[in-house]
Amino acid sequence: MPNLSLFRLPWLLFVSAVWLSTPVRSSPNPGDKHVKVELVSEQDALVPGKAIWLGIRFDLEDGWHTYWINPGDSGEAPRIAWRLPAGFEAGEIQWPYPERLAAPPFADYGYQHQALLIAPIRPPAQLKEGQSAKIAALVDYLICQNVCIPGREQLELSLPVKNRAMSSAARDLFNTTRSRLPRPAPRDWKVSVISLGDEFLLDLKGQQLAKAPQFFPLQAELIENAAPQQTTPLPGGIRLHLKKSTHLLQPIARLRGIIVLGPEKAYLLDVPVSQKLGRVRRART
Amino acid sequence: MKRNFWWVLVIAPLLTPWARAVKVGESAPDFQAIDSNGLQQKLSQYRGKFVVLEWHNNGCPYTRKHYESGNMQQLQKEWTGKGVVWFTVISSAPGQQGYVTAERENDYLKQMKASPTAALLDPQGEVGRLYSAKTTPHMFVINPAGVLIYDGAIDDKATTDQADIASARNYVSQVLQEATAGKPVSTATTRPYGCSVKYAHK
Repeated sequence: MPNLSLFRLPWLLFVSAVWLSTPVRSSPNPGDKHVKVELVSEQDALVPGKAIWLGIRFDLEDGWHTYWINPGDSGEAPRIAWRLPAGFEAGEIQWPYPERLAAPPFADYGYQHQALLIAPIRPPAQLKEGQSAKIAALVDYLICQNVCIPGREQLELSLPVKNRAMSSAARDLFNTTRSRLPRPAPRDWKVSVISLGDEFLLDLKGQQLAKAPQFFPLQAELIENAAPQQTTPLPGGIRLHLKKSTHLLQPIARLRGIIVLGPEKAYLLDVPVSQKLGRVRRART
Repeated sequence: MKRNFWWVLVIAPLLTPWARAVKVGESAPDFQAIDSNGLQQKLSQYRGKFVVLEWHNNGCPYTRKHYESGNMQQLQKEWTGKGVVWFTVISSAPGQQGYVTAERENDYLKQMKASPTAALLDPQGEVGRLYSAKTTPHMFVINPAGVLIYDGAIDDKATTDQADIASARNYVSQVLQEATAGKPVSTATTRPYGCSVKYAHK
């Protein structure tokens, strides 16, 4: 050890003492990741030219969560970069509706326990049966409990090419996930948004509306995520009061988000915002 | 000194307008806090200067991105060198990630070669809640008239990856460059990114 001269030793001791005195290091031990991340397929094989659903599955330890496409007040949504063989095409990630993770005075949007983020992948028509193809995804994600741990994983999956595919063991999870994807709003709904004072008033009229739906904005910094979303009745519907974010300095043209009426009842909203001057008057009926 | 300290603890919460959120374009609420050298720092005593507030948690991977790369220290050095006041604010509660004693914080500043004007210890989260500080880092810029001119992220790459810093647009530098040149601030609010601030559970 010719380098470790007596001259250097005190300096090294100082550095390691400072290092050791730094509280909580967030680098995880390899065996203590608090999450298992896997690339899974809905089917057991690729069929040339036919789209297949793949998903990134997060199995989270109790107490840990990862994030929705709009993570809310803190955190970061997972990022998925596909590494596909030539001729393969990937569609957009489909995000199931999240849970509001309250941490007063703030709130995040994300997933606990288990989450599957799915996307369609289309192999080229020229793919030959009897071959196999390796699909990979580079996934960057953040999980948090009380503390946060970033992760990056290169996930791989090899699938044989056949003329017909069967369901894989993950099929049920894909179906459960699909039931949690936001669907287009029912045709009989009338939806409008008014910007008034420090609130957006989201008016929903239609059949079978829940008394207390939850709205999740697709874009960050539009509403105060932790503010209670008060509902007031309207003739034939309800009005949801959404408190504007203090970061919102300009009027917005459209409000985009999803509304969750109950388990497996999430709908996509993309509504023009009409500006009203004046003060908020609570609707009463 | 000790008597002063207790006076602050008792009186500060009474003066704190909890219900009122800070907003860009409005006057930045005054606060006082003890720094890691035991000095009492009051925002209003820096009227006439630009002030940067940087929320900090030394264990948070987003904070570490900007310290282990030297990015935050470089910003502190550059802007304090130009007369800007830079407060690093630590609102982690005792027992939570990022909580530090004054001595620990001074060791950390030395180890990291960080040079904020002062590191404010806010274990009760009073300054943090007053400013609705959400994440570490979360950056605020206050102009010499005491008006909040920026509230948001440090830059536009919301990741923990140091490699992203080189290509990121640094909002704090941009705001300070524009404002010190007498120009309007082009980006005044952004989504702050990072770990949640580890406030005491209420």
